[in-house]
Amino acid sequence: MTVPVADPAPARISLDRALVPALLLGPTLLWIFFFFLWPLGLMVWQSFIVKDAFSLDHYASLFTTPIYARALWTTFEISIICTVGSLILGYPVAYYLTVGDARIRAVVMILVIIPYWLDYIVRSFSWLILFGRRGLVNRFLVDVGLIAEPLQLLYNLGSVLVGMIQIMLPLMILTLFGAMLRINRQLVAAAEIHGASPWRAFWSVFFPLSLPGVYAAFLLVFIISLGFYITPALLGSPKETMISQIIMLVATELFDWPLASAAGVLLLAVTIAVVIAYNRTFSIERLWGGKEA
Amino acid sequence: MAADKTPSRGAAVRIDRLRKTFGSAVAVDSISLDIPAGSFVTLLGPSGSGKTTTLNLIAGFLSPDAGAILFDGAVVSDVPTHKRNIGMVFQNYALFPHMTVFDNVGFPLKMRTKLASADARTRILETLALVELNGFEARYPRQLSGGQQQRVAMARALVSHPRLLLMDEPLGALDKKLREQMQFEIKNIHRSIGTTFVYVTHDQTEALTMSDLIVVMNHGKIEQAGTPRRLYETPENQFVADFLGGANLLPGTVAAVAADHFGVAVEGGFTVQVPRDRVVANAGDAVSVLVRPEEVGVALTEDRQAGTECVAGTVTAVGYLGDSLKLEVAVAGIAIGAKLARVRGLSIESGQRVYVSWPRASARLLLRSAR
Repeated sequence: MTVPVADPAPARISLDRALVPALLLGPTLLWIFFFFLWPLGLMVWQSFIVKDAFSLDHYASLFTTPIYARALWTTFEISIICTVGSLILGYPVAYYLTVGDARIRAVVMILVIIPYWLDYIVRSFSWLILFGRRGLVNRFLVDVGLIAEPLQLLYNLGSVLVGMIQIMLPLMILTLFGAMLRINRQLVAAAEIHGASPWRAFWSVFFPLSLPGVYAAFLLVFIISLGFYITPALLGSPKETMISQIIMLVATELFDWPLASAAGVLLLAVTIAVVIAYNRTFSIERLWGGKEA
Repeated sequence: MAADKTPSRGAAVRIDRLRKTFGSAVAVDSISLDIPAGSFVTLLGPSGSGKTTTLNLIAGFLSPDAGAILFDGAVVSDVPTHKRNIGMVFQNYALFPHMTVFDNVGFPLKMRTKLASADARTRILETLALVELNGFEARYPRQLSGGQQQRVAMARALVSHPRLLLMDEPLGALDKKLREQMQFEIKNIHRSIGTTFVYVTHDQTEALTMSDLIVVMNHGKIEQAGTPRRLYETPENQFVADFLGGANLLPGTVAAVAADHFGVAVEGGFTVQVPRDRVVANAGDAVSVLVRPEEVGVALTEDRQAGTECVAGTVTAVGYLGDSLKLEVAVAGIAIGAKLARVRGLSIESGQRVYVSWPRASARLLLRSAR
């Protein structure tokens, strides 16, 4: 066996160049391929096949069966209201976390993060205890004498939204907070010394600068809301059926896997379309004169 | 020319026993200062000297623990920042990234005045012309160079004709050449508009170049306030002497008090004479003798002339600066720095025996126990 005489250094560099990324990224890429992309591909494939031939029949039945189209529309409706609600409630909290008194801020932060750590199934169930006919709220109202009969607080749009907003609020707040922290607070000082009252300084400087964060948080919360399943199932009525529930129903009750796949693909396609449209509309960097050099 | 063309008169600012603490740290320690209307005043000091805190107190970003700030005789402590009618240039400019140059400069007009948009436009363009930045109205800050952003920040600070302009190390982020150019431009702008300027810097050259009045600060106190010439030539203590320009401070004790001079025994064993000027000192006082490096001459042979001090030493370091030569000479264990105009043909090397001299009249006695 001969020993290579040539300087091994260049060969080793090129080996490293190929090997290091492969070692770093390879395991995850393989994982994603086998357990995400592959099944996803199968799902897409299945959704276009009827009796071993290409067909759009599954999609046709999705759009022509009122219950499916209805669920898709409901999904959007609930997701939008949930996202707007989280934004309206979350923005002031995130702002306070950014500018408020340090000690109170720490307490608020803990109050935001603790529910974030709790499983959302647990959180959805807790609303059943609170809002049920014999739940805490109804019992309190009856005992106080404000109402004679328990109110129907559960199984309607309101209870679904309360549950979903409660679940999404920490994410909304933390995403906004992260974006607001990056705003240079000296800009607000600059606005004030040049004649803007704190109120006007907020609206003319802080708020516009927080918009990229608002857009990002809005998109994130909206997309996650689109896929909600447990919360509307537990807290809603059939009227609040969302598309994920339909997919589950079709797959596990009707055993119509191709139709469930088609519904899944539709949800995915709609989500991607929303993201693309959104990024086109709200490209803030471009509006303010391009990316920072 | 719809906008009023008369230069706005600056405010006279009085700072009266102003004090500000952060926890147990005293940032501004009961300082008093009079800033004449229309003057260019520089707060000069190292970081942590309280100069920026003082500026923030004047701006109203901070409220004092004690003492007061008065604009033209009126206490402003209860006046919120936005009603103080101040312009300010921040260290990193703090331009609004979501607004064009035009809107940035127009911001104070929009907030403070009810100018019609045509008049506002005239004023904005006039102010941009003042900082030589016409044609950039539609750009966004991030499309500008550092120097251009600096000019926009100036224009924004000046556009509403404030009675006071605050500048917090505005040239710190620029390169040396641009910095020197901007120093003169800022000075020219000051002269042409007559607003009171309060300028904060740690750069003594900047302070000397631009100021009518320099206030040297250290540890939250004012060490000395005066004209650049006065501070440089007759500093009252070691800190001021050292902070403004290079300084040799020879430690010693007063050995003799004569009618027109002191005899000082310098540590290391030689004696020098220092003019009495208006300095009050007694025999035995611990003092430093200030000798500016540019006053120091270096020769290879002893050359005792009347009115000069001359001591022997060894060259320990030589620095070539192009237009000048920087030497360090050890005299009886004390390092004396010299800055010599370049002399063609003269070669001085480290380790060489030389004679160091300076005019007696240029030396100055500083009490070491001054603080």
